[in-house]
Amino acid sequence: MTNIRLLLVDDEDDFRRTIAKRLTKRGICPAEAGNGEECLAILEKKPVDVVVLDVRMPGMSGVEVLHHIKKKHPKTEVILLTGHATTQDGVEGIKSGAFDYLAKPVELEHLLGKIKQAHEKSRRGEEKLREAEFRARMEQQMIATKRLASLGTLAVGVAHEINNPLAIMKESAGWLKLLLKKEELAEMPRKQDFDMALNKIEESIERTRRITHQLLGFVRKSDSALAKVDLRGLVDEIVQSVNREAANKNIEIVQKVDHSIDTIWSDPYQLRQVLINLLTNAIQATGSGGKITIILEAIGEEVFLTVHDTGKGIPKEDLEKIFEPFFSTKSPGEGTGLGLFVTRSIIEKLDGKIEVESELGRGTSFCVKLPKQHQIKEGERVS
Amino acid sequence: MIKVPTRILVVDDEKDFVQMLSLRLKEEGEKPTPAYSGKECLETLKNEEIDVVILDIKMPGMDGIETLREVKRRFPLVEVIMLTGHGTIETAVEGMKLGASDYLLKPADFEDLSAKLETARKRKDEQEERIRRAEARLLMRKVGEI
Repeated sequence: MTNIRLLLVDDEDDFRRTIAKRLTKRGICPAEAGNGEECLAILEKKPVDVVVLDVRMPGMSGVEVLHHIKKKHPKTEVILLTGHATTQDGVEGIKSGAFDYLAKPVELEHLLGKIKQAHEKSRRGEEKLREAEFRARMEQQMIATKRLASLGTLAVGVAHEINNPLAIMKESAGWLKLLLKKEELAEMPRKQDFDMALNKIEESIERTRRITHQLLGFVRKSDSALAKVDLRGLVDEIVQSVNREAANKNIEIVQKVDHSIDTIWSDPYQLRQVLINLLTNAIQATGSGGKITIILEAIGEEVFLTVHDTGKGIPKEDLEKIFEPFFSTKSPGEGTGLGLFVTRSIIEKLDGKIEVESELGRGTSFCVKLPKQHQIKEGERVS
Repeated sequence: MIKVPTRILVVDDEKDFVQMLSLRLKEEGEKPTPAYSGKECLETLKNEEIDVVILDIKMPGMDGIETLREVKRRFPLVEVIMLTGHGTIETAVEGMKLGASDYLLKPADFEDLSAKLETARKRKDEQEERIRRAEARLLMRKVGEI
């Protein structure tokens, strides 16, 4: 009972105070207002479930106040108090959205009953609203999930279809370049222009090819091949392959490896892709003279692989987006916006998890958690 | 040194691709022949001397893997380089287990292709050389027996 937030509005102070006192005795502590303006001011400040409102007041009339309340606080229920001769006002009020009306003089029990009913209605309304909001949120999530799944199917199709014409373009451009080198064309006018444009075509083909290949890499859900993977060896191998790139930027790569880690069951091709993505990202993010630390440790039935860099860090507002497809902060042509998206899809496919922590100006850590034994699901094969 | 042209059979249902790759290979001094299906590939191999087949994996009708199997069964000395638009290394691995000499992802890098063509050609030449020597030894023994 005490949790009903009630507001009494009446210009007759004595009447209002009496009712308030008697309601308080029954467990409802109402707020009070002496006129319409005061009532609206209180509603602005704090939420109220039920307003008991006198129709006849100097200044703003009760019906006017009712209109305001319904417009600005639709969840608040209003009970109108009318004089005997003015029950017509009450009927009008109900038409404008009041819960009910009572004719003065009011009987307390009657008023109390109406207040409870009004409160019940307001509570149900709120519940319904919350439920609707929850359902809307769920639906949105479902749509997002479905969209990602169909994006996958679409992506493979598109990548396939694009690769073929891409191959034709590439051979055509290559052939023309070859022709330009021939002796018979040595004196050709504006040969440099042709060379320049052909180079641009070839570069763009290469850029497109990177996108299609990454897309195809991401959607190989059903045919991943499981094998024993020597993680330490794999890390070593990938570090070797990116070492030159790191050395060019004067970046040191440090490995901190738990030597108790033997082999794990997973997909070696896919893990290689993950490692390459994380390491090349780290190198690109890290400035000259920086340091990249790779930590490999085993805890229980899981292995943790952390790639930490001392780069520029990722702004907070970007952290949620970095795993989304086609999100990239690199300039066009440099990043496809698919690297981390593919990385996360692979890891989740392998029953793992990837997390990121970043501090602006200090660096970024990507932590990958993988099970030592990947549970074999239907559609997968062991090689 | 005069380059001995490699006789290459380019097999892909994508006609424009076959045409452009052939033009480029020809310009590089090779001797390309076009084929637009697995069936046509086998037909050509029956009638022409070919060193290396560049074979697309994804073709309607008889697909690349099937064609490869047939090629290796009927013309074991011919080398095959697979072209795949899938980006699935697994298919390529399967192909190599069936005897393909190498694979390339489409669109392929021409330098890559050139290098792989040369390796395949060499492999075939060496194999043929070994067969010739074995035949010679066989002949010598027969002569000795007389």
